[in-house]
Amino acid sequence: MADAAVTGYAEALFAVASVEGDLSAVEDELFNFAQALRSNDELRSTLADGNVPAARRLQVVDDLLDGRSSATTSVLVSMVVGAGRASELPAIVDAFIERSAASRNKAVATVRAAVDLTADQRDRLTAAIKVSTGKDVEIRVVEDPSVLGGVVTEIGDDIIDGSVRRRLNQLRESFR
Amino acid sequence: MRNQRNRLLAAPLLALVVLVAFAGPASASGESVGGCMAEHFAEAVETYHGNVEEAAHDVAVQDQLEKCFEAPSPILPEMNEIIWGGGAFLVLFVLMVKKGFPAVQGAMDARADRIRADLDEADQAKLDAQSVKAGYEARLADAKSEASRLIDEARGDAERVRADLVARAEADAAGIRERAAAESDAAKAQAIADLRTEVAAIALGAAERVVQSSLDAEVQGNLIDAYIDEVAGTDG
Repeated sequence: MADAAVTGYAEALFAVASVEGDLSAVEDELFNFAQALRSNDELRSTLADGNVPAARRLQVVDDLLDGRSSATTSVLVSMVVGAGRASELPAIVDAFIERSAASRNKAVATVRAAVDLTADQRDRLTAAIKVSTGKDVEIRVVEDPSVLGGVVTEIGDDIIDGSVRRRLNQLRESFR
Repeated sequence: MRNQRNRLLAAPLLALVVLVAFAGPASASGESVGGCMAEHFAEAVETYHGNVEEAAHDVAVQDQLEKCFEAPSPILPEMNEIIWGGGAFLVLFVLMVKKGFPAVQGAMDARADRIRADLDEADQAKLDAQSVKAGYEARLADAKSEASRLIDEARGDAERVRADLVARAEADAAGIRERAAAESDAAKAQAIADLRTEVAAIALGAAERVVQSSLDAEVQGNLIDAYIDEVAGTDG
């Protein structure tokens, strides 16, 4: 359960993105930025460091997103980072994406795989999840080398783990 | 007592009878012939008022002088001596009977009483000594019994202490053995677990490297496809 600040910022992002249009592109860009923030400790600590002047932190954001994302995305990220909520930005983005999907009566399925899925694989996986869970989902793919192979799908609290990593962990457990 | 008194009276009477029965001439008293003749001749001279010659021719005087040559009785004294002696004896005897004998009898009775008392006292002392001896013997027996009991008790205590120490030592030894065995088992199990963990880590590291090297794009695609098929085949 996201706290009130996360939900509040997510609603704000959703409202702004909805008004500015191209919600889907903003979702993708924010999701990618959030994943970059999760995987890069130095970037996360820099943006979340209160001792670093806000102008400096915003400058880092501009440098990262300039030319790679829409103005709306840059503004939204700058808003969150400028408010000193950089450490909560990944959770805010997740809540924003769930809020956007909910507006379309869909859930968000976070798919982690060692390599990116093809469009065909995404469609088939979406259909398979629909068959398996009965939910209409939007897939967000995260490339995660630690998975090694296969896929791990998270839908809310449900996890469908078909990764090579899980099998290796099972093998490790069998040795004990 | 009475027999003793009779014997005391019989002895002087017997001596008196013997003395009277064997009474003899004066010379029997042991006087010498010369003395006898001198005594009689002196008496005759005194009778003739100093005329020695008449006294020497007097036949009576000569008979008396002749009698001086007769052997005196070896036992009996002269009659006068017997009378005086007997009188003195009787006086002495009476004195002895009246005064001496009671005193001697009293002394003897006192002595007998004292001896009897001494004997009684000695008997009592003997009895006391025997009683004391019996007491000592009883106390000695008690002391021996007590000593024996103490020795037995000490032996019992020593035996109990020994048994307790042995039991405790055996229990300690058993505990030590059990702890050593448990520690050995635990160490063995830990070593096996460590070895297994190490082997597993090595094996898993090797497996992971093999998997990583074998996971090319085609294999990754196949794995994803297999996953999708698996999810599709899983009904809620």
